[in-house]
Amino acid sequence: MTKIELKGVSYLYGGKTPFEKKALNNINACIEEGSITGIIGHTGSGKSTLVQLLNGLLRPTEGQILLDGRDIWEKPKKMRALRFKVGLVFQYPEYQLFEETVKQDIAFGPKNMGLSSDEAERRVMDAAKFCGLGQELMGKSPFELSGGQKRRVAIAGVMAMSPEVLILDEPAAGLDPQGRSDIFGGICEYRRKTGATVIIVSHSMEDIARYCDRVLVMSKGQVWAEGSCDEIFSRADELEAIGLDIPQIARLVRLLKEKGVDLGDKLYTVGDVYRALLPYFTGGDGGAS
Amino acid sequence: MLRDITLGQYFPGNSVFHRTDPRVKIVLTMLYIVAVFMADSLLSYLIMTAGTILLIAVSRIPLKTVTSGFKTILFIIIFTAVLNIFWTKGENLLFSFGIINVYAEGLIHAGKMVLRLACLLMGTSVLISYTTSPIALTDGLERLLSPLKVIKLPVHEFAMMMTIALRFIPTLIEETDKIMNAQKARGADFTEGNLLQRAKALIPILIPLFVSAFMRAGELATAMECRCYHGGEGRTRMTVLKTKPLDWILLSVFIAYGVGIILL
Repeated sequence: MTKIELKGVSYLYGGKTPFEKKALNNINACIEEGSITGIIGHTGSGKSTLVQLLNGLLRPTEGQILLDGRDIWEKPKKMRALRFKVGLVFQYPEYQLFEETVKQDIAFGPKNMGLSSDEAERRVMDAAKFCGLGQELMGKSPFELSGGQKRRVAIAGVMAMSPEVLILDEPAAGLDPQGRSDIFGGICEYRRKTGATVIIVSHSMEDIARYCDRVLVMSKGQVWAEGSCDEIFSRADELEAIGLDIPQIARLVRLLKEKGVDLGDKLYTVGDVYRALLPYFTGGDGGAS
Repeated sequence: MLRDITLGQYFPGNSVFHRTDPRVKIVLTMLYIVAVFMADSLLSYLIMTAGTILLIAVSRIPLKTVTSGFKTILFIIIFTAVLNIFWTKGENLLFSFGIINVYAEGLIHAGKMVLRLACLLMGTSVLISYTTSPIALTDGLERLLSPLKVIKLPVHEFAMMMTIALRFIPTLIEETDKIMNAQKARGADFTEGNLLQRAKALIPILIPLFVSAFMRAGELATAMECRCYHGGEGRTRMTVLKTKPLDWILLSVFIAYGVGIILL
């Protein structure tokens, strides 16, 4: 079932000044309920604008955005209710922390929803668990935490509103490998428990290949392509032409193929390649070659 | 709402005023302010208004941009007008209601004040804010004030502080926008409730804003030190300001304008 549908969406920044710029131009796309969709595109391709349109922080200059088949701008007064349904985690969300304790900060969203303190408390605990934040952290000041922990607190702050659609803009940017996998682990956990639709904006093709089942490629304010990881990453040369790339490991597989070692197709993550290589080491039937 | 601040809002272009030496522009602005405050007779007001309109036309800044600054001082304008209407005593009583007496002189005076404020706002913002990049402005200011170094005034440091402050206005606005959006995404509401509730709603914006501003300041200081910044002593400029014939022409035009207003 389609969760979000974009119909001819365009967005213009700074209208009628010398700084005018068309950020998005006639976007048409569908996002399936329960999927994890990755949005890729090089800097300035309109990814961040697109996600802000999805939860109504920006209003499209032209076109419609439908959530469950209804235009999100049908009742502009109800915009807050929409934001509880479509949770958006910005880039570097740790800069939005402000409360005295981690717990209070995560509870900011649920409190704005007008939930009872019991219910808010329960949501906070659930969200903290998804993001791997232990009880001992809840009473600390968010400013004492490490960068990765702060990031997880900020993400938990949005998860605590139990959004049906969770959008994350570069959730793992600037984190170490451990921090990255903690964040993505939390996101996957949230989706598994709630069945939410997830949209991830990322520059890391590795992360996209590993976690997403659909990919939306943006270029110059337009949707350049949409499809499964396989459909997108098989067009490596075209991706390079628009300033993108395929996962490193997939590049290796391609090079090996050119040299005469064919490991097979659809290998985009280290795990895939590991399994494809295993027969060569265990002396089995020689795998795909 | 944050976009209404005109200070430091450079509007790129290539008009006469864009090309004028910033030092000259600062002098022109002072001349202009003096002229506007000296206007007294009806004729001088006419010249003042005509001059301001000419100024805007020559600068080729869209009228909408020029007038957008009004929102910020609307309250002051209305306040001035009301004060003048009700408190000016004169001879021609228009109407009276209880203790409130409105005289024709009051109305005229209020009109003059509003006109003066409007000209002041539009003229100075066209001369300084819209047509001068912040860097050029502080550069000009530093050069203009450099004689004060003799009396040990840290002119360079002031100019540097101003440059940095102006430079970070857009950054802070952007940052505020970002934080506001992030909190809005968590359901924060900045437009509803009474004054106390609204003031409270600002906390989730102000705290992150201050935290990042202090962090940024620290980083900037370190970055400047890494590039061996040590104040103004012995520092040379990449672009040395030189006055052109155009600057002198403009200066004479403005002097004529000022003298005209004062004499008439």
